[in-house]
Amino acid sequence: MEGMIAIWQRDVMKFFKDRARLFGSMTMPILLLIVFGVGMGGSMESLMQNVAGGDLDFNYVAFIFPGIVSMTLLMTSVFSSLSIIQDRDFGYMREILVSPVSRVSIALGKMLGSATVAVMQGLLLFLLMPVLGVTIDLVSFFVLLPVMFLLACAFASLGLLIASVISSTQAFQLVVNAIVMPMIFLSGALFPLNNMPAWIDVLVTLNPVTYGVDLMKHIMIDVDQLSREVYVEMGLDLDFFGIPVTPLGEVLFIIGFTAVLIVLATLSFSRANR
Amino acid sequence: MIEVKELRKSFKSLEAVKGSSFTVEEGEIFGFLGPNGAGKSTTINILSTMLKLTSGEVKINGYDVTKEKNKVRESIGIIFQENTLDEKLTAKENLMLHCKLYRVPKKSRKARIDEVLAIVDLTDNLNQTVEKFSGGMKRRLEIARGLLHYPKVLFLDEPSVGLDPQTRAHIWEYILKLKEKENMTMFLTTHYLDEAEISDRIAIMDHGEIIALDTPKRLKAQLGGDVIELQTTDNQAALEEINEKFSVIEATLHEEGITLKVKNSDEFVSTFMKQLETPVTGLDIRKPTLNDVFLSMTGREIRD
Repeated sequence: MEGMIAIWQRDVMKFFKDRARLFGSMTMPILLLIVFGVGMGGSMESLMQNVAGGDLDFNYVAFIFPGIVSMTLLMTSVFSSLSIIQDRDFGYMREILVSPVSRVSIALGKMLGSATVAVMQGLLLFLLMPVLGVTIDLVSFFVLLPVMFLLACAFASLGLLIASVISSTQAFQLVVNAIVMPMIFLSGALFPLNNMPAWIDVLVTLNPVTYGVDLMKHIMIDVDQLSREVYVEMGLDLDFFGIPVTPLGEVLFIIGFTAVLIVLATLSFSRANR
Repeated sequence: MIEVKELRKSFKSLEAVKGSSFTVEEGEIFGFLGPNGAGKSTTINILSTMLKLTSGEVKINGYDVTKEKNKVRESIGIIFQENTLDEKLTAKENLMLHCKLYRVPKKSRKARIDEVLAIVDLTDNLNQTVEKFSGGMKRRLEIARGLLHYPKVLFLDEPSVGLDPQTRAHIWEYILKLKEKENMTMFLTTHYLDEAEISDRIAIMDHGEIIALDTPKRLKAQLGGDVIELQTTDNQAALEEINEKFSVIEATLHEEGITLKVKNSDEFVSTFMKQLETPVTGLDIRKPTLNDVFLSMTGREIRD
Protein backbone atom coordinates (compact mmCIF):
# COMPACT_ATOMS: atom_id res chain seq x y z
CA MET A 1 0.00 0.00 0.00
CA GLU A 2 2.71 2.44 0.94
CA GLY A 3 4.71 1.41 -2.09
CA MET A 4 1.76 2.29 -4.29
CA ILE A 5 1.44 5.69 -2.63
CA ALA A 6 5.17 6.30 -3.03
CA ILE A 7 4.98 5.59 -6.77
CA TRP A 8 1.93 7.83 -7.00
CA GLN A 9 3.60 10.65 -5.10
CA ARG A 10 6.71 10.48 -7.20
CA ASP A 11 4.85 11.19 -10.44
CA VAL A 12 2.93 14.07 -8.87
CA MET A 13 6.10 15.49 -7.35
CA LYS A 14 7.82 15.33 -10.72
CA PHE A 15 4.91 17.07 -12.39
CA PHE A 16 5.33 20.09 -10.14
CA LYS A 17 9.04 20.21 -10.87
CA ASP A 18 8.44 20.37 -14.61
CA ARG A 19 6.90 23.78 -15.22
CA ALA A 20 7.43 23.70 -18.97
CA ARG A 21 5.20 20.66 -19.15
CA LEU A 22 2.60 22.30 -16.96
CA PHE A 23 2.13 25.26 -19.28
CA GLY A 24 3.07 23.56 -22.53
CA SER A 25 0.22 21.11 -22.21
CA MET A 26 -2.27 23.98 -21.80
CA THR A 27 -1.76 25.34 -25.30
CA MET A 28 -3.62 22.60 -27.16
CA PRO A 29 -6.87 22.79 -25.16
CA ILE A 30 -6.86 26.59 -25.35
CA LEU A 31 -6.33 26.44 -29.09
CA LEU A 32 -9.23 24.01 -29.47
CA LEU A 33 -11.43 26.17 -27.26
CA ILE A 34 -10.77 29.09 -29.59
CA VAL A 35 -11.17 27.12 -32.82
CA PHE A 36 -14.27 25.16 -31.84
CA GLY A 37 -15.77 27.44 -29.26
CA VAL A 38 -15.34 30.85 -30.80
CA GLY A 39 -14.84 29.83 -34.43
CA MET A 40 -17.67 27.35 -34.73
CA GLY A 41 -19.72 28.92 -31.96
CA GLY A 42 -21.56 31.43 -34.12
CA SER A 43 -22.78 28.99 -36.71
CA MET A 44 -23.65 26.35 -34.11
CA GLU A 45 -25.64 28.87 -32.12
CA SER A 46 -27.66 30.08 -35.11
CA LEU A 47 -28.23 26.45 -36.10
CA MET A 48 -29.65 25.76 -32.67
CA GLN A 49 -31.80 28.87 -32.87
CA ASN A 50 -33.37 27.35 -36.02
CA VAL A 51 -33.87 24.01 -34.32
CA ALA A 52 -35.48 25.60 -31.31
CA GLY A 53 -37.45 27.88 -33.56
CA GLY A 54 -37.08 31.09 -31.69
CA ASP A 55 -35.26 32.76 -28.88
CA LEU A 56 -32.71 30.55 -27.21
CA ASP A 57 -30.11 31.31 -24.60
CA PHE A 58 -27.47 28.99 -25.91
CA ASN A 59 -23.72 29.30 -25.39
CA TYR A 60 -21.83 26.84 -27.55
CA VAL A 61 -18.62 27.38 -25.57
CA ALA A 62 -20.40 26.13 -22.47
CA PHE A 63 -21.29 23.03 -24.42
CA ILE A 64 -17.80 22.42 -25.66
CA PHE A 65 -16.01 23.26 -22.42
CA PRO A 66 -16.71 19.90 -20.69
CA GLY A 67 -15.54 18.20 -23.88
CA ILE A 68 -12.27 20.11 -23.90
CA VAL A 69 -11.74 19.32 -20.22
CA SER A 70 -12.32 15.60 -20.92
CA MET A 71 -9.96 15.80 -23.84
CA THR A 72 -7.31 17.36 -21.60
CA LEU A 73 -7.85 14.56 -19.08
CA LEU A 74 -7.46 11.99 -21.81
CA MET A 75 -4.36 13.50 -23.39
CA THR A 76 -2.60 14.23 -20.09
CA SER A 77 -3.27 10.91 -18.44
CA VAL A 78 -2.34 8.86 -21.47
CA PHE A 79 0.79 10.86 -22.16
CA SER A 80 1.82 10.77 -18.50
CA SER A 81 2.21 7.04 -18.90
CA LEU A 82 5.15 7.89 -21.08
CA SER A 83 6.93 8.14 -17.72
CA ILE A 84 6.92 4.34 -17.62
CA ILE A 85 8.92 4.19 -20.81
CA GLN A 86 11.25 6.90 -19.55
CA ASP A 87 11.69 5.09 -16.25
CA ARG A 88 12.59 2.02 -18.22
CA ASP A 89 15.08 3.94 -20.37
CA PHE A 90 16.68 5.73 -17.44
CA GLY A 91 16.82 2.56 -15.36
CA TYR A 92 14.51 3.67 -12.55
CA MET A 93 12.01 0.98 -13.48
CA ARG A 94 14.54 -1.62 -12.29
CA GLU A 95 14.66 0.00 -8.87
CA ILE A 96 10.87 -0.29 -8.71
CA LEU A 97 10.67 -3.80 -10.14
CA VAL A 98 13.21 -5.37 -7.76
CA SER A 99 11.49 -3.84 -4.75
CA PRO A 100 9.01 -5.90 -2.71
CA VAL A 101 6.10 -3.78 -3.99
CA SER A 102 3.47 -5.97 -5.63
CA ARG A 103 2.95 -5.64 -9.36
CA VAL A 104 -0.67 -4.55 -8.90
CA SER A 105 0.48 -1.75 -6.61
CA ILE A 106 2.99 -0.64 -9.22
CA ALA A 107 0.30 -0.48 -11.89
CA LEU A 108 -2.17 1.27 -9.58
CA GLY A 109 0.45 3.71 -8.31
CA LYS A 110 1.35 4.64 -11.84
CA MET A 111 -2.31 4.97 -12.80
CA LEU A 112 -3.10 7.19 -9.81
CA GLY A 113 -0.05 9.33 -10.52
CA SER A 114 -1.03 9.97 -14.14
CA ALA A 115 -4.67 10.51 -13.17
CA THR A 116 -3.82 13.05 -10.47
CA VAL A 117 -1.62 15.01 -12.83
CA ALA A 118 -4.39 14.94 -15.45
CA VAL A 119 -7.04 16.18 -13.03
CA MET A 120 -4.83 19.05 -11.96
CA GLN A 121 -4.18 19.90 -15.57
CA GLY A 122 -7.92 19.75 -16.26
CA LEU A 123 -8.69 21.97 -13.28
CA LEU A 124 -6.30 24.59 -14.59
CA LEU A 125 -8.70 25.05 -17.50
CA PHE A 126 -11.36 26.14 -15.05
CA LEU A 127 -9.36 29.32 -14.60
CA LEU A 128 -10.48 30.26 -18.12
CA MET A 129 -14.16 30.05 -17.24
CA PRO A 130 -14.72 33.78 -16.58
CA VAL A 131 -13.14 34.63 -19.94
CA LEU A 132 -15.35 32.13 -21.74
CA GLY A 133 -18.51 33.17 -19.94
CA VAL A 134 -18.99 29.66 -18.57
CA THR A 135 -20.18 29.17 -15.01
CA ILE A 136 -20.47 26.24 -12.64
CA ASP A 137 -22.02 26.15 -9.17
CA LEU A 138 -20.15 24.76 -6.21
CA VAL A 139 -22.29 21.65 -5.79
CA SER A 140 -21.85 20.65 -9.42
CA PHE A 141 -18.14 21.28 -9.07
CA PHE A 142 -17.83 18.82 -6.20
CA VAL A 143 -19.87 16.25 -8.12
CA LEU A 144 -17.63 16.84 -11.10
CA LEU A 145 -14.34 16.24 -9.27
CA PRO A 146 -14.76 12.48 -8.63
CA VAL A 147 -16.09 12.06 -12.15
CA MET A 148 -13.04 13.78 -13.54
CA PHE A 149 -10.81 11.59 -11.41
CA LEU A 150 -12.56 8.42 -12.51
CA LEU A 151 -12.25 9.42 -16.13
CA ALA A 152 -8.59 10.25 -15.67
CA CYS A 153 -8.02 6.83 -14.08
CA ALA A 154 -9.68 5.14 -17.05
CA PHE A 155 -7.52 7.02 -19.52
CA ALA A 156 -4.38 6.53 -17.43
CA SER A 157 -4.94 2.78 -17.38
CA LEU A 158 -5.16 2.89 -21.17
CA GLY A 159 -1.83 4.73 -21.31
CA LEU A 160 -0.37 2.26 -18.83
CA LEU A 161 -1.32 -0.70 -20.94
CA ILE A 162 0.11 0.88 -24.08
CA ALA A 163 3.33 1.80 -22.25
CA SER A 164 3.72 -1.67 -20.78
CA VAL A 165 3.82 -3.30 -24.20
CA ILE A 166 5.67 -0.62 -26.18
CA SER A 167 9.33 0.00 -25.56
CA SER A 168 10.26 3.21 -27.38
CA THR A 169 9.11 6.76 -26.81
CA GLN A 170 8.59 7.37 -30.53
CA ALA A 171 6.46 4.30 -31.02
CA PHE A 172 4.46 5.22 -27.93
CA GLN A 173 3.65 8.64 -29.32
CA LEU A 174 2.58 7.22 -32.67
CA VAL A 175 0.38 4.55 -31.12
CA VAL A 176 -1.13 6.99 -28.66
CA ASN A 177 -1.99 9.46 -31.40
CA ALA A 178 -3.49 6.71 -33.48
CA ILE A 179 -5.71 5.68 -30.56
CA VAL A 180 -6.38 8.93 -28.72
CA MET A 181 -7.28 11.16 -31.66
CA PRO A 182 -10.11 8.95 -32.93
CA MET A 183 -11.29 8.53 -29.34
CA ILE A 184 -11.64 12.30 -29.03
CA PHE A 185 -13.27 12.84 -32.41
CA LEU A 186 -15.71 9.97 -31.89
CA SER A 187 -16.84 11.05 -28.45
CA GLY A 188 -18.85 14.19 -29.03
CA ALA A 189 -16.28 16.18 -27.09
CA LEU A 190 -15.73 18.76 -29.80
CA PHE A 191 -18.92 18.62 -31.86
CA PRO A 192 -22.20 16.75 -31.55
CA LEU A 193 -22.31 13.39 -33.29
CA ASN A 194 -25.63 12.99 -35.04
CA ASN A 195 -26.79 11.00 -38.04
CA MET A 196 -23.51 9.12 -38.29
CA PRO A 197 -23.11 6.01 -40.44
CA ALA A 198 -23.89 2.84 -38.49
CA TRP A 199 -20.28 1.65 -38.16
CA ILE A 200 -19.17 4.98 -36.69
CA ASP A 201 -22.13 4.82 -34.37
CA VAL A 202 -20.86 1.49 -33.05
CA LEU A 203 -17.44 3.01 -32.37
CA VAL A 204 -19.02 5.99 -30.60
CA THR A 205 -21.11 3.64 -28.47
CA LEU A 206 -18.08 1.55 -27.44
CA ASN A 207 -15.87 4.56 -26.77
CA PRO A 208 -15.54 5.22 -23.02
CA VAL A 209 -14.74 8.87 -23.74
CA THR A 210 -18.31 9.27 -25.05
CA TYR A 211 -19.72 8.53 -21.61
CA GLY A 212 -17.13 10.59 -19.78
CA VAL A 213 -17.92 13.61 -21.92
CA ASP A 214 -21.65 12.99 -21.55
CA LEU A 215 -21.38 12.75 -17.75
CA MET A 216 -19.42 15.97 -17.59
CA LYS A 217 -21.87 17.77 -19.85
CA HIS A 218 -24.82 16.68 -17.76
CA ILE A 219 -23.12 17.93 -14.62
CA MET A 220 -21.85 21.20 -16.05
CA ILE A 221 -24.67 22.26 -18.35
CA ASP A 222 -28.17 22.93 -17.14
CA VAL A 223 -29.71 20.42 -19.55
CA ASP A 224 -33.26 20.72 -18.25
CA GLN A 225 -33.39 24.25 -19.55
CA LEU A 226 -32.74 23.03 -23.09
CA SER A 227 -35.67 22.15 -25.32
CA ARG A 228 -36.02 18.51 -26.42
CA GLU A 229 -34.99 19.41 -29.98
CA VAL A 230 -31.78 21.10 -28.89
CA TYR A 231 -31.05 18.27 -26.41
CA VAL A 232 -31.27 15.71 -29.22
CA GLU A 233 -29.46 17.91 -31.73
CA MET A 234 -26.53 18.37 -29.35
CA GLY A 235 -26.17 14.59 -29.04
CA LEU A 236 -27.12 14.43 -25.37
CA ASP A 237 -29.58 11.55 -25.67
CA LEU A 238 -27.21 8.60 -25.89
CA ASP A 239 -28.21 5.01 -26.13
CA PHE A 240 -26.19 1.84 -25.76
CA PHE A 241 -27.33 -0.34 -28.66
CA GLY A 242 -30.92 0.71 -28.08
CA ILE A 243 -30.81 0.84 -24.27
CA PRO A 244 -31.10 4.39 -22.90
CA VAL A 245 -27.94 5.43 -21.10
CA THR A 246 -28.13 6.46 -17.43
CA PRO A 247 -25.43 8.26 -15.42
CA LEU A 248 -24.96 5.15 -13.26
CA GLY A 249 -24.60 3.01 -16.36
CA GLU A 250 -21.98 5.39 -17.69
CA VAL A 251 -20.00 5.30 -14.46
CA LEU A 252 -20.13 1.50 -14.39
CA PHE A 253 -19.00 1.31 -18.01
CA ILE A 254 -15.99 3.50 -17.25
CA ILE A 255 -15.13 1.54 -14.09
CA GLY A 256 -15.35 -1.73 -16.03
CA PHE A 257 -13.12 -0.34 -18.77
CA THR A 258 -10.54 0.76 -16.17
CA ALA A 259 -10.58 -2.54 -14.30
CA VAL A 260 -9.98 -4.60 -17.44
CA LEU A 261 -7.09 -2.43 -18.56
CA ILE A 262 -5.45 -2.41 -15.11
CA VAL A 263 -5.57 -6.20 -14.96
CA LEU A 264 -4.00 -6.41 -18.41
CA ALA A 265 -1.33 -3.86 -17.50
CA THR A 266 -0.50 -5.71 -14.26
CA LEU A 267 -0.12 -8.97 -16.16
CA SER A 268 2.15 -7.22 -18.57
CA PHE A 269 4.28 -5.88 -15.68
CA SER A 270 4.56 -9.29 -14.06
CA ARG A 271 5.76 -10.77 -17.30
CA ALA A 272 8.40 -8.09 -17.78
CA ASN A 273 11.89 -9.05 -16.85
CA ARG A 274 13.33 -5.60 -16.82
CA MET B 1 22.96 -17.06 2.76
CA ILE B 2 22.85 -17.83 -0.95
CA GLU B 3 22.24 -21.40 -2.07
CA VAL B 4 22.23 -22.26 -5.74
CA LYS B 5 21.56 -25.83 -6.80
CA GLU B 6 21.73 -27.08 -10.36
CA LEU B 7 20.62 -23.74 -11.76
CA ARG B 8 19.71 -23.77 -15.43
CA LYS B 9 18.38 -21.04 -17.67
CA SER B 10 17.59 -21.36 -21.35
CA PHE B 11 16.53 -18.68 -23.77
CA LYS B 12 14.82 -20.52 -26.61
CA SER B 13 17.63 -22.61 -28.08
CA LEU B 14 20.43 -20.95 -26.13
CA GLU B 15 21.42 -22.40 -22.77
CA ALA B 16 22.82 -19.43 -20.82
CA VAL B 17 23.39 -21.17 -17.49
CA LYS B 18 24.11 -24.88 -17.54
CA GLY B 19 23.49 -26.36 -14.14
CA SER B 20 25.67 -24.35 -11.82
CA SER B 21 25.72 -24.87 -8.05
CA PHE B 22 27.38 -22.88 -5.30
CA THR B 23 26.74 -21.52 -1.82
CA VAL B 24 27.72 -18.22 -0.30
CA GLU B 25 28.11 -17.98 3.47
CA GLU B 26 26.85 -15.16 5.62
CA GLY B 27 29.23 -12.23 5.77
CA GLU B 28 31.24 -13.45 2.82
CA ILE B 29 32.36 -11.36 -0.13
CA PHE B 30 31.78 -13.55 -3.12
CA GLY B 31 33.41 -12.51 -6.39
CA PHE B 32 31.65 -13.63 -9.53
CA LEU B 33 33.78 -13.29 -12.62
CA GLY B 34 33.54 -14.26 -16.22
CA PRO B 35 33.93 -12.89 -19.71
CA ASN B 36 31.01 -11.07 -21.28
CA GLY B 37 28.30 -13.46 -22.32
CA ALA B 38 29.42 -16.09 -19.82
CA GLY B 39 26.09 -16.08 -18.00
CA LYS B 40 26.97 -13.71 -15.16
CA SER B 41 24.18 -11.22 -15.71
CA THR B 42 21.67 -13.99 -16.25
CA THR B 43 22.71 -15.51 -12.92
CA ILE B 44 22.46 -12.18 -11.07
CA ASN B 45 19.08 -11.50 -12.62
CA ILE B 46 17.79 -14.86 -11.45
CA LEU B 47 19.22 -14.40 -7.96
CA SER B 48 17.56 -10.98 -7.71
CA THR B 49 14.14 -12.29 -8.90
CA MET B 50 14.31 -10.31 -12.13
CA LEU B 51 14.40 -13.40 -14.30
CA LYS B 52 12.66 -16.74 -14.04
CA LEU B 53 14.87 -19.80 -13.86
CA THR B 54 14.32 -22.76 -16.16
CA SER B 55 15.18 -25.40 -13.56
CA GLY B 56 17.08 -25.82 -10.32
CA GLU B 57 16.73 -24.19 -6.94
CA VAL B 58 17.91 -20.83 -5.63
CA LYS B 59 17.51 -19.71 -2.03
CA ILE B 60 18.45 -16.31 -0.67
CA ASN B 61 18.36 -15.80 3.09
CA GLY B 62 16.41 -19.05 3.24
CA TYR B 63 13.72 -17.88 0.81
CA ASP B 64 13.05 -19.46 -2.55
CA VAL B 65 13.45 -17.00 -5.45
CA THR B 66 10.54 -18.42 -7.41
CA LYS B 67 8.08 -19.04 -4.60
CA GLU B 68 8.88 -16.24 -2.14
CA LYS B 69 9.84 -13.39 -4.43
CA ASN B 70 8.80 -10.61 -2.09
CA LYS B 71 10.68 -12.10 0.88
CA VAL B 72 13.76 -12.37 -1.31
CA ARG B 73 13.32 -8.80 -2.53
CA GLU B 74 13.19 -7.58 1.05
CA SER B 75 16.41 -9.43 1.85
CA ILE B 76 18.51 -8.09 -0.98
CA GLY B 77 19.96 -4.81 -2.11
CA ILE B 78 21.21 -4.26 -5.61
CA ILE B 79 23.65 -1.76 -6.96
CA PHE B 80 23.08 -1.92 -10.66
CA GLN B 81 25.63 -1.58 -13.37
CA GLU B 82 23.68 1.29 -14.91
CA ASN B 83 22.42 4.36 -13.11
CA THR B 84 18.95 3.85 -11.70
CA LEU B 85 18.51 7.05 -9.72
CA ASP B 86 15.73 9.49 -10.50
CA GLU B 87 17.84 12.42 -11.60
CA LYS B 88 15.03 14.94 -11.43
CA LEU B 89 14.64 14.37 -7.71
CA THR B 90 16.94 15.34 -4.89
CA ALA B 91 19.15 12.89 -3.02
CA LYS B 92 16.77 12.95 -0.09
CA GLU B 93 13.72 12.32 -2.26
CA ASN B 94 15.44 9.39 -3.94
CA LEU B 95 16.34 7.86 -0.60
CA MET B 96 12.90 8.49 0.90
CA LEU B 97 11.24 6.77 -2.05
CA HIS B 98 13.49 3.79 -1.54
CA CYS B 99 12.54 3.63 2.15
CA LYS B 100 8.89 3.50 1.16
CA LEU B 101 9.37 0.92 -1.58
CA TYR B 102 11.36 -1.30 0.78
CA ARG B 103 9.16 -0.85 3.84
CA VAL B 104 11.73 0.75 6.09
CA PRO B 105 9.87 1.56 9.34
CA LYS B 106 8.66 5.16 9.35
CA LYS B 107 10.42 6.09 12.57
CA SER B 108 13.88 5.06 11.48
CA ARG B 109 13.80 6.59 7.99
CA LYS B 110 15.38 9.91 8.76
CA ALA B 111 18.13 8.40 10.89
CA ARG B 112 18.96 5.82 8.25
CA ILE B 113 19.11 8.38 5.46
CA ASP B 114 21.54 10.44 7.53
CA GLU B 115 23.53 7.34 8.33
CA VAL B 116 24.00 6.08 4.77
CA LEU B 117 24.73 9.56 3.45
CA ALA B 118 27.45 9.95 6.07
CA ILE B 119 29.01 6.67 4.97
CA VAL B 120 29.34 7.86 1.38
CA ASP B 121 30.19 11.46 2.34
CA LEU B 122 27.16 13.09 0.78
CA THR B 123 25.58 14.59 3.87
CA ASP B 124 25.94 18.12 2.49
CA ASN B 125 24.20 17.20 -0.76
CA LEU B 126 21.00 15.99 0.84
CA ASN B 127 18.71 18.50 -0.84
CA GLN B 128 20.54 18.78 -4.13
CA THR B 129 19.01 17.51 -7.36
CA VAL B 130 20.78 14.36 -8.53
CA GLU B 131 21.11 15.81 -12.04
CA LYS B 132 23.78 18.14 -10.69
CA PHE B 133 25.86 15.33 -9.19
CA SER B 134 29.13 14.13 -10.75
CA GLY B 135 29.39 10.53 -11.93
CA GLY B 136 31.18 9.48 -8.76
CA MET B 137 28.63 11.17 -6.52
CA LYS B 138 25.76 9.45 -8.31
CA ARG B 139 27.47 6.13 -7.83
CA ARG B 140 27.97 6.82 -4.14
CA LEU B 141 24.38 7.86 -3.73
CA GLU B 142 23.31 4.69 -5.45
CA ILE B 143 25.40 2.63 -3.07
CA ALA B 144 23.92 4.53 -0.14
CA ARG B 145 20.45 3.80 -1.45
CA GLY B 146 21.18 0.09 -1.83
CA LEU B 147 22.05 -0.03 1.88
CA LEU B 148 19.06 1.86 3.24
CA HIS B 149 16.93 -1.15 4.05
CA TYR B 150 19.85 -3.07 5.63
CA PRO B 151 19.85 -5.87 3.08
CA LYS B 152 21.19 -9.23 4.15
CA VAL B 153 22.74 -9.70 0.75
CA LEU B 154 24.10 -6.89 -1.36
CA PHE B 155 24.53 -7.49 -5.07
CA LEU B 156 27.14 -5.29 -6.65
CA ASP B 157 26.98 -5.51 -10.42
CA GLU B 158 30.08 -3.75 -11.72
CA PRO B 159 29.89 -1.13 -8.96
CA SER B 160 32.81 0.97 -10.09
CA VAL B 161 32.50 0.80 -13.86
CA GLY B 162 33.28 4.07 -15.58
CA LEU B 163 34.78 5.75 -12.53
CA ASP B 164 38.23 7.22 -12.15
CA PRO B 165 40.71 5.23 -10.04
CA GLN B 166 40.52 7.61 -7.09
CA THR B 167 36.72 7.39 -6.87
CA ARG B 168 36.93 3.65 -7.30
CA ALA B 169 39.25 3.38 -4.34
CA HIS B 170 36.91 5.54 -2.28
CA ILE B 171 33.88 3.51 -3.13
CA TRP B 172 35.62 0.35 -2.10
CA GLU B 173 36.57 1.95 1.15
CA TYR B 174 32.89 2.71 1.80
CA ILE B 175 31.76 -0.75 0.86
CA LEU B 176 34.26 -2.41 3.14
CA LYS B 177 33.38 -0.07 5.99
CA LEU B 178 29.82 -1.18 5.66
CA LYS B 179 30.56 -4.80 5.42
CA GLU B 180 32.48 -4.65 8.65
CA LYS B 181 29.65 -2.85 10.38
CA GLU B 182 26.69 -4.89 9.20
CA ASN B 183 28.26 -8.26 8.45
CA MET B 184 26.55 -8.10 5.11
CA THR B 185 26.97 -10.79 2.50
CA MET B 186 28.22 -9.40 -0.79
CA PHE B 187 27.90 -10.78 -4.26
CA LEU B 188 30.20 -8.92 -6.58
CA THR B 189 30.79 -8.88 -10.30
CA THR B 190 33.50 -6.72 -11.73
CA HIS B 191 35.69 -6.24 -14.75
CA TYR B 192 38.53 -5.00 -12.61
CA LEU B 193 40.32 -8.09 -11.42
CA ASP B 194 42.35 -6.20 -8.84
CA GLU B 195 39.02 -5.32 -7.21
CA ALA B 196 38.01 -8.93 -7.10
CA GLU B 197 41.06 -9.58 -4.89
CA ILE B 198 39.11 -8.38 -1.86
CA SER B 199 36.69 -11.30 -2.26
CA ASP B 200 36.81 -14.10 0.25
CA ARG B 201 36.07 -16.53 -2.55
CA ILE B 202 35.84 -16.21 -6.30
CA ALA B 203 33.80 -18.13 -8.82
CA ILE B 204 34.73 -17.96 -12.46
CA MET B 205 31.98 -18.61 -14.94
CA ASP B 206 32.47 -19.37 -18.59
CA HIS B 207 30.00 -20.60 -21.20
CA GLY B 208 27.31 -20.89 -18.55
CA GLU B 209 29.33 -23.09 -16.23
CA ILE B 210 31.33 -22.42 -13.10
CA ILE B 211 34.81 -23.53 -13.98
CA ALA B 212 36.61 -22.52 -10.79
CA LEU B 213 35.61 -21.64 -7.25
CA ASP B 214 38.13 -20.94 -4.52
CA THR B 215 39.88 -18.24 -2.51
CA PRO B 216 41.92 -15.80 -4.63
CA LYS B 217 45.07 -17.06 -2.96
CA ARG B 218 44.47 -20.70 -3.81
CA LEU B 219 43.34 -19.90 -7.32
CA LYS B 220 46.62 -18.15 -7.90
CA ALA B 221 48.57 -20.95 -6.26
CA GLN B 222 46.88 -23.45 -8.58
CA LEU B 223 48.70 -21.87 -11.48
CA GLY B 224 51.88 -23.17 -9.88
CA GLY B 225 54.85 -20.91 -10.27
CA ASP B 226 55.57 -17.53 -11.71
CA VAL B 227 54.49 -15.64 -14.76
CA ILE B 228 56.77 -14.23 -17.40
CA GLU B 229 55.48 -11.70 -19.90
CA LEU B 230 57.60 -11.84 -23.00
CA GLN B 231 57.76 -9.66 -26.07
CA THR B 232 59.89 -10.60 -29.04
CA THR B 233 60.39 -9.44 -32.60
CA ASP B 234 58.43 -12.45 -33.84
CA ASN B 235 56.12 -13.84 -31.20
CA GLN B 236 54.85 -16.70 -33.33
CA ALA B 237 58.34 -18.00 -34.01
CA ALA B 238 59.32 -17.51 -30.40
CA LEU B 239 56.36 -19.56 -29.24
CA GLU B 240 57.32 -22.46 -31.49
CA GLU B 241 60.89 -22.23 -30.31
CA ILE B 242 59.82 -22.23 -26.66
CA ASN B 243 57.60 -25.25 -27.06
CA GLU B 244 60.46 -27.04 -28.71
CA LYS B 245 63.37 -26.19 -26.43
CA PHE B 246 62.09 -25.43 -22.95
CA SER B 247 59.90 -27.07 -20.37
CA VAL B 248 57.25 -24.55 -19.34
CA ILE B 249 53.94 -25.17 -17.60
CA GLU B 250 52.08 -23.18 -20.15
CA ALA B 251 52.77 -20.76 -22.97
CA THR B 252 50.00 -18.61 -24.41
CA LEU B 253 50.22 -16.24 -27.32
CA HIS B 254 48.18 -13.06 -27.13
CA GLU B 255 48.13 -9.65 -28.79
CA GLU B 256 50.84 -8.08 -26.67
CA GLY B 257 53.23 -11.02 -26.61
CA ILE B 258 53.59 -14.36 -24.91
CA THR B 259 52.67 -15.28 -21.35
CA LEU B 260 54.75 -18.09 -19.89
CA LYS B 261 54.14 -19.97 -16.72
CA VAL B 262 57.21 -21.53 -15.15
CA LYS B 263 58.00 -23.25 -11.87
CA ASN B 264 60.97 -21.19 -10.89
CA SER B 265 61.44 -17.99 -12.81
CA ASP B 266 65.02 -17.24 -11.65
CA GLU B 267 66.45 -20.52 -12.84
CA PHE B 268 64.43 -20.45 -16.02
CA VAL B 269 65.34 -16.98 -17.18
CA SER B 270 69.08 -17.42 -16.94
CA THR B 271 69.12 -20.36 -19.34
CA PHE B 272 66.23 -19.07 -21.40
CA MET B 273 67.91 -15.79 -22.32
CA LYS B 274 71.03 -17.60 -23.48
CA GLN B 275 69.27 -20.17 -25.59
CA LEU B 276 66.37 -18.33 -27.23
CA GLU B 277 67.29 -17.31 -30.75
CA THR B 278 64.38 -14.96 -31.46
CA PRO B 279 65.44 -11.49 -30.26
CA VAL B 280 63.69 -10.48 -27.05
CA THR B 281 62.34 -6.93 -26.87
CA GLY B 282 60.74 -7.03 -23.46
CA LEU B 283 60.61 -9.27 -20.42
CA ASP B 284 58.67 -8.99 -17.18
CA ILE B 285 58.64 -11.46 -14.32
CA ARG B 286 55.89 -11.37 -11.73
CA LYS B 287 53.85 -13.38 -9.31
CA PRO B 288 50.56 -14.61 -10.73
CA THR B 289 47.52 -12.31 -10.52
CA LEU B 290 43.84 -13.08 -10.88
CA ASN B 291 44.17 -11.97 -14.45
CA ASP B 292 46.51 -14.88 -15.08
CA VAL B 293 44.10 -17.23 -13.39
CA PHE B 294 41.34 -15.87 -15.54
CA LEU B 295 43.37 -16.13 -18.71
CA SER B 296 44.42 -19.69 -18.08
CA MET B 297 40.90 -20.78 -17.11
CA THR B 298 38.96 -19.12 -19.89
CA GLY B 299 41.66 -18.58 -22.48
CA ARG B 300 40.54 -14.98 -22.70
CA GLU B 301 41.20 -11.64 -21.08
CA ILE B 302 38.22 -10.52 -19.01
CA ARG B 303 37.64 -7.57 -21.31
CA ASP B 304 37.28 -9.64 -24.48
